[in-house]
Amino acid sequence: MKKNRLRAILGLLCLVSSVIGSAQQQYTVSGYIKDASNGEALIGATAYVSEIANGTVSNAYGFYALTLPKGTYHVSFRYMGYTDIHKEIALTGDLRLNLELFAGEAQLEAVVVTGEAVDENVQSIEMSTATMDIKSIERMPAFAGEVDVIKSIQLLPGVSTVGEGASGFNVRGGSVGQNLVLLDEAPVYQSSHMFGFFSVFNPDAVKDVKLYKGGIPAKYGGRLSSILDIRMKEGNNKTYDVTGGIGTVFSRLAVEGPLKKDKSSFIIAARRSYADVLARTFTDALEDDTGLYFYDLTAKTNFNINEKNRVYLSGYFGRDVFRLDEFQGFDWGNRTATVRWNHLYGRKLFSNITAFYSNYDYGFQLGDSEQDKYDWKSEISTLNFKPEFTWFVNASNEITFGGEGILYLFEPANAITVSDGVTADISLDHRKALETSLYLGNDQQLTDRLTLQYGLRFSRFDYMGGTAYQYGDTLPGMEKPLIAVEEKGNWESIQSFGNLEPRASFRYQLSKVTSVKGSYNRMNQYIHLISNTTAATPIDIWQPSSNNTRPQQGDQVALGYFRNFQSNAYETSAEVYYKWSSNQIDYIDGADLFINEFLESQLLSGRGRAYGLELYAKKNTGKLTGWVSYTLGKSELKVDGINYGYRKDRVGSWYPTKFDQRHNLKVAAFYDLSKKVSFSANFSFVSGTPTTFPTDRIMIQEYVIPYIDGNKRNNFRIPAYHRLDLAVTINNVWRGKKGRSGEDNLVVSVYNVYARKNPFSIYFSQGRERQSAEAPIATSANQFSMLGTFIPAISYNFKF
Amino acid sequence: MKNILLILLSVFAFACETEITPKLNAPAEILVVDAWVNQKMEPQKIRITRSQPYFEQSIPKKVPGAHVMIEDLNSGETYEFQEEAESYFWYPTDQPFGQVGHQYRLTVTVDGQEFEAFSKMGRVPPIDSIIFHYNPKDMIVKQDYYTAEFVASDPAGAGDTYWIKAWRNGVFLGNPGELNMAYDAGFSAGQPVDGQEFIIPLRRDFMNPYDPHPDKTNEFLPPYEVGDSLSVEIHSLDHLAFDFLYGLYFQIARPGGFAELFSMPLANTSTNIFSVGDEDTPVTGFFNTSAVSSRGLKLSEELANAALEEN
Repeated sequence: MKKNRLRAILGLLCLVSSVIGSAQQQYTVSGYIKDASNGEALIGATAYVSEIANGTVSNAYGFYALTLPKGTYHVSFRYMGYTDIHKEIALTGDLRLNLELFAGEAQLEAVVVTGEAVDENVQSIEMSTATMDIKSIERMPAFAGEVDVIKSIQLLPGVSTVGEGASGFNVRGGSVGQNLVLLDEAPVYQSSHMFGFFSVFNPDAVKDVKLYKGGIPAKYGGRLSSILDIRMKEGNNKTYDVTGGIGTVFSRLAVEGPLKKDKSSFIIAARRSYADVLARTFTDALEDDTGLYFYDLTAKTNFNINEKNRVYLSGYFGRDVFRLDEFQGFDWGNRTATVRWNHLYGRKLFSNITAFYSNYDYGFQLGDSEQDKYDWKSEISTLNFKPEFTWFVNASNEITFGGEGILYLFEPANAITVSDGVTADISLDHRKALETSLYLGNDQQLTDRLTLQYGLRFSRFDYMGGTAYQYGDTLPGMEKPLIAVEEKGNWESIQSFGNLEPRASFRYQLSKVTSVKGSYNRMNQYIHLISNTTAATPIDIWQPSSNNTRPQQGDQVALGYFRNFQSNAYETSAEVYYKWSSNQIDYIDGADLFINEFLESQLLSGRGRAYGLELYAKKNTGKLTGWVSYTLGKSELKVDGINYGYRKDRVGSWYPTKFDQRHNLKVAAFYDLSKKVSFSANFSFVSGTPTTFPTDRIMIQEYVIPYIDGNKRNNFRIPAYHRLDLAVTINNVWRGKKGRSGEDNLVVSVYNVYARKNPFSIYFSQGRERQSAEAPIATSANQFSMLGTFIPAISYNFKF
Repeated sequence: MKNILLILLSVFAFACETEITPKLNAPAEILVVDAWVNQKMEPQKIRITRSQPYFEQSIPKKVPGAHVMIEDLNSGETYEFQEEAESYFWYPTDQPFGQVGHQYRLTVTVDGQEFEAFSKMGRVPPIDSIIFHYNPKDMIVKQDYYTAEFVASDPAGAGDTYWIKAWRNGVFLGNPGELNMAYDAGFSAGQPVDGQEFIIPLRRDFMNPYDPHPDKTNEFLPPYEVGDSLSVEIHSLDHLAFDFLYGLYFQIARPGGFAELFSMPLANTSTNIFSVGDEDTPVTGFFNTSAVSSRGLKLSEELANAALEEN
């Protein structure tokens, strides 16, 4: 094993050094690509050099660099929806070239103007990724009219959810806890407001959303299934803007503007739900201490110190509060803070150093006085340090390297119970861990047709300090017996893990409009979301890998075919993937996951596999635009102690995961009737999620208990989910008329137009009547729908 | 938690529920042993039945001709259970069943196949008192009402497990949400609270039933009114029996509605009944031996007045 590791590292180093060695007398043209109207960095803009039929893409800070031999070149700078800039560059020395692209009046017209859509999907090495800019997200019909980043990505192939109200999302048959959601590089542990009905990202502050489902570059790690990279706006550095909206659920307001023109800017965006404010005027049933609201505040500022240095500060703070009275309630929230420093070493080496803090906590309070109450808080905090470097070696190589150090503090329960004034502390030990990683990768163009991306990530996890429990073996599916307890020093290592994660992708261009891509990646996940409920919820806790819980490991191979038609007016792609994973977590039956010092004794470990086909077709131009995505997928687990039939050794058989959905069809369509009026529609069809049906009922101590022949798991499916949403947007209702500056729009939407009662679950229960020796207790099955009707909504949005 | 879910329920008034009758797989109709014996001076019953199709709405019938016996593994004493019309019984004469601290073995023989289970009888603390509290009318109960609690302390020493049972006016509070188990003075082993008064939720939350008002929606009947009575029993549990009841709760407590977000997968409850020998006949059920303490109190006019004054 060690030998293999060494070989892999040496191999990569050889490859990379050969790349560097071949560098001749070359110069670099580099700079930032920005939006001319507001100075926002454009992420993923292309700089295409005709002479070498190749180019580069601007990074998350809008920075690009091209290293070329001395000569004269024609470079086109392009970004979807913006007018191209063509430059003739005489490269006789290193050159700094900052550009500002102008947005077309409307996104579509701009494309028509240039006559060339971006063929990024075919050209780029990336596969299994999806980018969405906030403009598209804003145009989709949304639940309760609230524009939602997380809901939007669920319209993409390979992404799904188990239903309304479920937190998070599932990617290619992976669980919710296997997605890394990053907001300006800081992980967001809980991406939902109001359970899963809304996401925590304020659309007014979001610039760009990118989802990696596979072919994940070496710079990302830590989760098995996906990386959702959300970038916040930097704030307009030219003029002051106020944007906002009044919706059915939220009111929003964002202010942005220059602190010093073209040098630094800020944005502050806030949202708050106001159902409680409205309710209070209609009913006096809500007591003064009652509260039911959620809010978030997003802020960011940046300083362009000089050509070589930029600093960004960003933060997020959001909270959901459900308060019954002074002593009873439930609340949760995330907070993140990020500091970033971009620095250029010479012309070729771009660096970004990020330090951030992220925290998620929730709390429960029950009781009726200071004398009698129950108070529980749970938290996870992380401190990160992440240096990243990109070295634009030459026209055909771009080397990335860097590392990351994450210090975790887990506080699963800070809890007390007070009975008649006597306080009992039932808090659990805090747990600490350090995750470190180093990576090296290269994007290499081998020939005109073949591009490679390869890299290696080394990750290490140290579980440290506190009480170390040791559990013995037992029959799979039973609680493991505690056999030893050892107290360790505060920072003493209890268990450590190290893993190599190879990553590789290729793109082979068959023609100007056709390419084939393939990728392999290995991921390790050291922290686990403990969730045994139908849907992930805000009260799920994160648990580190330890001497009892091994890190999850997952491998994925994917192969794709990409083709564009009619000058890139239509994009199509087909991808297949196969994933296999180990140390997947499941739970013993009746597991007690909350405030349990011995939680690990109730965890089971098994294998997972998922495979599928994803088809995607997108129309980019014309009055009617949109896409159709279809996924055929399967996702299964095999865990000893679950689904074991009558085997005495309890070796489990494969069973579908609770988010295994065979068919997943999504359609998103936008139709621009005129500059003033546009329509949009979404349609979703998703196969029903698996669930377990009993066969028998047994009676013990007068309780009637369901029984499943053969200890089967997920042996049935709830009916399929389908839904149509429609929206109409009317622009310039008030602003933009009669000389009034700014713009506004009115969005009227209907969610679940044909009022389908989509089942969320089918459950089996006994009657509410009390037991008696004579009359048996009735048992029945019920189908529960989170939404039993259509939801109309209206919102007004403005900008001035 | 329940109250919070209630509020959420009213917020998400869009939700809906329908009773359905899905087609299920064929029933297994396996052997079920329901053997919970205790030290009360009353007939001790062990029921041997078969599981029924899930939607069958009848009391399961006795499996006849079984041989049922419990052996005290410390003293060697045996207790033979005699078959009667609906079950198998053992009658205490001058001494109750078993002794605290002893280990017991149950054997059940059906059609030549032997099954066995083990249980240790744990200790149980006395119940010191029952108290009634006065509550003015509020959002959910639209009249003045009384709630009850019992007072008892877990003895020092970790690892005692109990099942706290309650009866209101002689009716067992046996809804899934009223299942009340204690691990020492707290909820579970993972939340250690030992050697003190049982924590408040255990003493209070499971014996004050808020039953829905038969005529008015969103309104509930008072848990206790003058003239009502409460009796409480604490039964000691074997550790495995505690785990069994803990798991049982998640399988039977499905209130539906928004709580479905938090529901756990359906799975079989644990069992401590196993077939003896190579034969692997499917069987389920549970065997537990309990020591019991009890106390009852009627809410008289005087007690009610005293509670009102205390308030």
